Amino acid sequence: MPESPKLNIGIFYFDLSTISMFIITGVILFIIARLAVRNLSVENPSKLQNVMEWVVEFVHGMVASTMPLHIGKRFISIALALILFIFIANLLGLPFAIITKHTEEVTLFGYTLVSQETIDKWLAKDGYDHAPVLWWKSPTADLSVTLGLALVTFFLIHYNGLKLNRTHYLRHYIEPYPIFLPLNIIKEIFKPLTLGLRLFANILAGEIMIKVIIMAGIFGIPFLMAWQGFSIFIGGLQAFVFVILSMVYIAQATVHEEQ
Amino acid sequence: MEALAAAIAVGLGALGAGLGNGMVVSKTVESMSRQPELRGPLQTTMFIGVGIIEVVPLIGAVIAFLILFG
Repeated sequence: MPESPKLNIGIFYFDLSTISMFIITGVILFIIARLAVRNLSVENPSKLQNVMEWVVEFVHGMVASTMPLHIGKRFISIALALILFIFIANLLGLPFAIITKHTEEVTLFGYTLVSQETIDKWLAKDGYDHAPVLWWKSPTADLSVTLGLALVTFFLIHYNGLKLNRTHYLRHYIEPYPIFLPLNIIKEIFKPLTLGLRLFANILAGEIMIKVIIMAGIFGIPFLMAWQGFSIFIGGLQAFVFVILSMVYIAQATVHEEQ
Repeated sequence: MEALAAAIAVGLGALGAGLGNGMVVSKTVESMSRQPELRGPLQTTMFIGVGIIEVVPLIGAVIAFLILFG
């Protein structure tokens, strides 16, 4: 696994490649969304406008399938943002990666990005005369990004549960019996944890698989193409699963079926 | 021994999740052939189930990587 450039400020370590990829994903998504809504037209819609309308309709149907729309319509925009962001983020790591070789310390404005210790660690390994540093990857191949996105869901679940459905939301912690309280709390904590871990592990496994196939050299090209095609499918599926599970969790907290 | 531990973690996780995923998909196909008009909701439910099952081998794989490289 190549190193990532880390900016150390106080007790915090900022992973610069993840942060920059996160921003790049946001910029790409913003540009695509702006291009799609440019020259909006009913009679003569552009191709991108048609695609975007299909995406919005798809997300609308997704939210409507998990909860009644009078509650669900406020979540359509966040679901749309999440699904587009995660899908683009999953695809970014597929076409190529940027890895630089370093034998000396890398500094930026006086801050160390790649310390001498990590380089020494790599030089001590067999077959390395440099330390590889990864600059371009999927932002979702980093646990902190996916857990951050899951934290948004976590906040939405409990905020909306408390706001829209307070008594039943609070009651469900002690159901069916008060002795189930610790189990219910563990369940609530594991919801965002598994959301984040599933997305992270899928995308990371895809990138590791690409690295393994590349080791096979020229004979790996057909496998690489097949795997990249499959990874596009996986990226779309994971974005879909992330958002629909978020919506199901929100629906569990906010919607109370009248008996 | 570490390689063995990682292999067991990944292998057993994949075995259990493979069986589970197979059951989910086969039952969905069965239900879809019984009631083709419920195809959309059944597929959505299937993807939710598959997504929940998938987490188990993936966490196993992460643990295996932690054992090997951590």
